[in-house]
Amino acid sequence: MSKASKIPVLEVKNLVKKFKDFTAVDDISFDVKEGEILGFLGPNGAGKSTTINCILGVIEPDDGKIKMFAKDISQNRSEIMKKVNYCSAEYNVAWNLKVYEALFFYCCLYEVENANARIERILDQMEANEFKNKFLRDLSFGQRARISLCKSLLNDPKLLLLDEPMASMDPDMVDKGIRLLKRIQKENKISILYTSHNMWEIEQIADKVVFVNNGKIAAQGTPLDLTRRHFLADTDEPNLREVFIKLSRSEDEHI
Amino acid sequence: MNISRIYAIVLRHFFLAIHQFERITDIFLFPVLALVLWGFLSSFVQFQTPSLANFLLGGMILWVIFERVGSNVGVDFMFDVWERNLMNVLASPIKLPEYITGLVIVSLLKVLISFLAMWFVATVFFGFAINLYGISLAAFWVNLVFFAVVLGIFNVSIVMRFGNTIGPLTWILPFAIQPFAAVFYPVAVLPIFIQKIVWFLPISHVFEGMRFTFTTGRFQSLEFLAALGLNLVYFVIVIGFFTYIFNLVKRKGSLAKL
Ligand SMILES: Nc1ncnc2c1ncn2[C@@H]1O[C@H](COP(=O)(O)OP(=O)(O)O)[C@@H](O)[C@H]1O
Ligand SMILES: [Mg+2]
Repeated sequence: MSKASKIPVLEVKNLVKKFKDFTAVDDISFDVKEGEILGFLGPNGAGKSTTINCILGVIEPDDGKIKMFAKDISQNRSEIMKKVNYCSAEYNVAWNLKVYEALFFYCCLYEVENANARIERILDQMEANEFKNKFLRDLSFGQRARISLCKSLLNDPKLLLLDEPMASMDPDMVDKGIRLLKRIQKENKISILYTSHNMWEIEQIADKVVFVNNGKIAAQGTPLDLTRRHFLADTDEPNLREVFIKLSRSEDEHI
Repeated sequence: MNISRIYAIVLRHFFLAIHQFERITDIFLFPVLALVLWGFLSSFVQFQTPSLANFLLGGMILWVIFERVGSNVGVDFMFDVWERNLMNVLASPIKLPEYITGLVIVSLLKVLISFLAMWFVATVFFGFAINLYGISLAAFWVNLVFFAVVLGIFNVSIVMRFGNTIGPLTWILPFAIQPFAAVFYPVAVLPIFIQKIVWFLPISHVFEGMRFTFTTGRFQSLEFLAALGLNLVYFVIVIGFFTYIFNLVKRKGSLAKL
């Protein structure tokens, strides 16, 4: 693939984050190239969210450098974030507003032109138009996650930071969500950092996988590469489940 | 500062207000009920000392304005925490000064509505003429609101640090200041040592200065300058405090956990 020659949209170098004595992110480096979907896979507590929050600027790293679009985020945050968006199933968009109002609010925050048309289009794509005039608080967990995903697409981002975005969706919706993301990613050449502990999602969506455990990168490569290296040498089917189990247990076995 | 992003914050709270009955009662009902109580009290007092009546009612209205702005900035911030909406806001291009400015504008708009409602009830139902003394009192009003904004930013800082559990403090704080603010009586009635502490409160200079104008019709520039000077000092301090807290919670990682 010619992707190696492309400029990185997101560069993370030697990122370190400690919470008191506990090192949540331990010298992590990776980059996401233009038009690439990087799967950030790892067990609970591996340091995935901490890494994303450092990228967002919500957590201050202890060490390391983060660049987006070749610019340092500590200096150009506001300009950079116009081209970026974020979604996590863990957080809501304005619980006590109606879906349409909440999305309109985010359109204003991102200075989206033709906000009405944009909201309509994205709700249609996510099959969420029926929720338009409902309060977010009245939706189910998974439906709210869908609206969060809609919110993350409002500003036509060049880089999407998705932190377990589909954690609470049913398998049918996850499938649709992944297909939608892949389509949008192809049409608009967006880059995605996709965090999950769900191997199936990552297999479906990721061009490349970074596997983190205990704050460190344990392995990286394409899903098939990883499977061949850590599970079955001569397979043609990626099987991240086996890789996952092997890599996340390997540390305990050494003890 | 980006107007669209500030507008977004105002809009978000407008949507919140139109859907939530308690938000509306907060804007209308609470101030009007307070006014009704003080309106009757003032009517009663008017038999003995007419000047005192006007003065009580005026003080009460100004107090409500201070108390509302002072606590509302923090409460509106808490809504983003309660609704788990804060992370998505912080992940946007918004800058903190824009966010805070938006919250302050929301509080000012709300208090303007509260004021109009109180003013209406005071003039129409109680027949009190709220004497504004033109520009000289406006100068004090600005200082009153200025100090309320300082208090509001302080409240946002402590909520950011300690989470919503600290919430009640943001309601109590203005009332903790009230006895020393000399809203309804001159600073001179306070014990000497408290008078010294009270000197450091911009709001007590505001009320002293306004009382002077009420009784003499003249402008007390010394009180005005003291209020303004103290406000500017506290504003710088509270911005420093806010920045310190923001950096602290980013280091601790607790901002993402709010
Ligand atoms: N603010 C914090 N203070 C202390 N420890 C934290 C904080 N945030 C995360 N951690 C710890 O850091 C580790 C990594 O967390 P996180 O990045 O959320 O993991 P995940 O990979 O599941 O997203 C966990 O053990 C978690 O308990
Ligand atoms: Mg996580």
